[in-house]
Amino acid sequence: MALLKNKQHHHHRHHKVDVPPAMDAEAAAKLAFMHDKKLSKHAFFEGEHPVVRIEHLNKTFDGETIVLRDVNLNVWNGEIVVVLGPSGSGKSTMLRCINLLETPTAGHILIEDDEITGKPAKEVNFIRRELGMVFQSFNLFPHLTALENVMIGQTKVLKKSKEEARAEAIKQLEAVGLGDRIDYKPPQLSGGQQQRVAIARAVAMHPKVLLFDEPTSALDPELVRDVLNVMKELALHGDMTMIVVTHEMGFARDVADRVVFMEGGVVVEQGLPEDVFDHPQNERTAQFLGSIE
Amino acid sequence: MTHDKRLGKTRFAALVTTLVLALTFLFPTGAFALTTNKATARPNEKGGSGVIGGLDTRLTWEGTVEGGEQVSSIVLTLPGNGSFDGASTKITALEGLSRANVEGEATAAGNTLTVDFSEPVSEGLLLRLEVEGMRFPSEGGDIVVSGTYVNQSGEQQLADSKPIKTIANTALQQMVAALDASPAVEAWNSNPFLGMFFKPQLMLTALFSLVPGWLLCLMIVVIAYPFAIILGLIFALMKISKHPLLRGIAIVYINILRGTPLFLQIYIMFFGLPMMNINIDNNVLGVIVIAINASAYLAEIFRAGIQSIPQGQYEAASSLGMSYFQTMFSIILPQTVRRVIPTVTSDFITSYKDTSLLSSVGVMELMMFSKNLTSVSGNMTPYVAAAIFYLVVTLPLIKVVTIVENRMAHAERGGGHRPKAKTAAAQGDSQDESSAAGTAVHAEALEPEASTMGSALTSLSPATAQEV
Repeated sequence: MALLKNKQHHHHRHHKVDVPPAMDAEAAAKLAFMHDKKLSKHAFFEGEHPVVRIEHLNKTFDGETIVLRDVNLNVWNGEIVVVLGPSGSGKSTMLRCINLLETPTAGHILIEDDEITGKPAKEVNFIRRELGMVFQSFNLFPHLTALENVMIGQTKVLKKSKEEARAEAIKQLEAVGLGDRIDYKPPQLSGGQQQRVAIARAVAMHPKVLLFDEPTSALDPELVRDVLNVMKELALHGDMTMIVVTHEMGFARDVADRVVFMEGGVVVEQGLPEDVFDHPQNERTAQFLGSIE
Repeated sequence: MTHDKRLGKTRFAALVTTLVLALTFLFPTGAFALTTNKATARPNEKGGSGVIGGLDTRLTWEGTVEGGEQVSSIVLTLPGNGSFDGASTKITALEGLSRANVEGEATAAGNTLTVDFSEPVSEGLLLRLEVEGMRFPSEGGDIVVSGTYVNQSGEQQLADSKPIKTIANTALQQMVAALDASPAVEAWNSNPFLGMFFKPQLMLTALFSLVPGWLLCLMIVVIAYPFAIILGLIFALMKISKHPLLRGIAIVYINILRGTPLFLQIYIMFFGLPMMNINIDNNVLGVIVIAINASAYLAEIFRAGIQSIPQGQYEAASSLGMSYFQTMFSIILPQTVRRVIPTVTSDFITSYKDTSLLSSVGVMELMMFSKNLTSVSGNMTPYVAAAIFYLVVTLPLIKVVTIVENRMAHAERGGGHRPKAKTAAAQGDSQDESSAAGTAVHAEALEPEASTMGSALTSLSPATAQEV
């Protein structure tokens, strides 16, 4: 509860920002975000580059089903972006394109100004270690314990020593409240516990960006809250860039620096959470939020 | 001159003839010998044709009286601890095709048998001595019956018989002999079914004599299988590869081997290779054929196993930045191994049984031994013994498959051994402690959720934790 209060306070600060009238929604959100992070407007307008830059992204399945149509999106360092939208709006596909689990049909994705589309497999693996992913169905490795799940990427990919990886894994598992479950195998854990291990696994790699693909959709309602709490804590730490695809409106409102609404493979609307939630500009957004709330 | 010469020659010839006749009369040993025609023994091996030492059997000795001899007695001698004690001897004499009246008395003393004839046996008679209840030396070996005889000129040496092959009398033979003597066993065997399929004496013999064949079967499959697993894994990875050539090779290999009988593959290898002047030891070739055949089935098992791993596992490994080989060897294959253990064990059972087909090309394995024993004894019991040898291996393995399958199903539902919770949990509330005690019930997994959620919140903002 204290957490929520904090966040509400955080939002009040958003409202104090003067948004220049000509500025588009994304820039406005960005500005508010910069303000929150106590960064100067100057830094914004000089423009350090976005961590993730999606340009004219198109994705077609089997040559006929168009899932993404010319999606453009920038995500800045330390920003928490929540992507909302009805099922089939392409939000998950967009997220999966960012770490190339789906190959874009057309367009460009740049991570810290490095083009990642159209790269050979070896380089793709190298890029992916910078992008942590949390899946709807957890996808923990069932033959490994919670601890080993969090260690394996560090030892195999980052080539850390066993001791180092172990210490980091314990630290991350304790951070998600599972210090007492490190030797459990995934099937022995509840869904919520599994998802928290999955978050620890992704965070332990210290990626540039954390991608969440509907992380609470497969959970029983009573287990959703503690996963969201873990995500909130990550968001509040401030140094993690997160792109979260979710249906959790409360989470979006409380935690997001920016909300992106997608429908039919297009970004329909984006902006500060309170703007999008309270004064949606697009009729479809309003309809969707209305039906949810 | 010429006349004289001719006369002289005739005289010389007559002299020589007379001399020779006189010599033969005086020293008859050589030419007038009692010849040994044969010495044979009746097999006393149950269900076999062997003559076992140390067990009662019948010795038949035949000799012919020749050269004007008058044989008054014969002494037969056995080497070693062979014995005539307690033997009864039947004496038969034949003159041409008709039976001659010859009477005699046999006296046994240890390894000698003395037959005294009431009247001397004269020339031209065939003497047959059938000695019942005698025993050959228990250590077995090629036994020569020797001895002496007495004719009108005194004691003469008897020509040695041709050797009689005998088998050493082992503990097994003694047990078989004991079974032979048992009336219960006789009653058992009088049942046509039991006597044909479960004859105790033959079962005992078979269980012992099939061991080498059984060991060869085991050895072939145990040596072949690791190779089959490696080959199978390689072809499985080739079959799921994106490279069309690799995939093509794997498909051809797997389909040909799975699509043709093992019997045919054995024939091709065992008869084909020698025709190309490639000569490999039969047992080694057996290992090769079984390994290649099993590898095709294992390749399919592994492929199915690998493809049964959810796509999410690949995605999770990829999103950590793992390469294809890292993903395969640390994520996918370890899970595949667990999944395919039951199927692979079943396939091992099949391969073990399939070694029986190697008997068709002369590999001395279990089937070969039991087939030989059956054709000698005319009884099915050796096959039943072979079945026992197969089952001794396959039944426990079938049980293992069941246990492993159950355990895996249990583990996938979240059951199984739970590690002791670390002390960090004990610092939480009482609910946490109860879960740390760890009753291994699946429903329990949900319970600590509520408590750890509490502690997660606590860790976020300890000051306001009481608000929750």
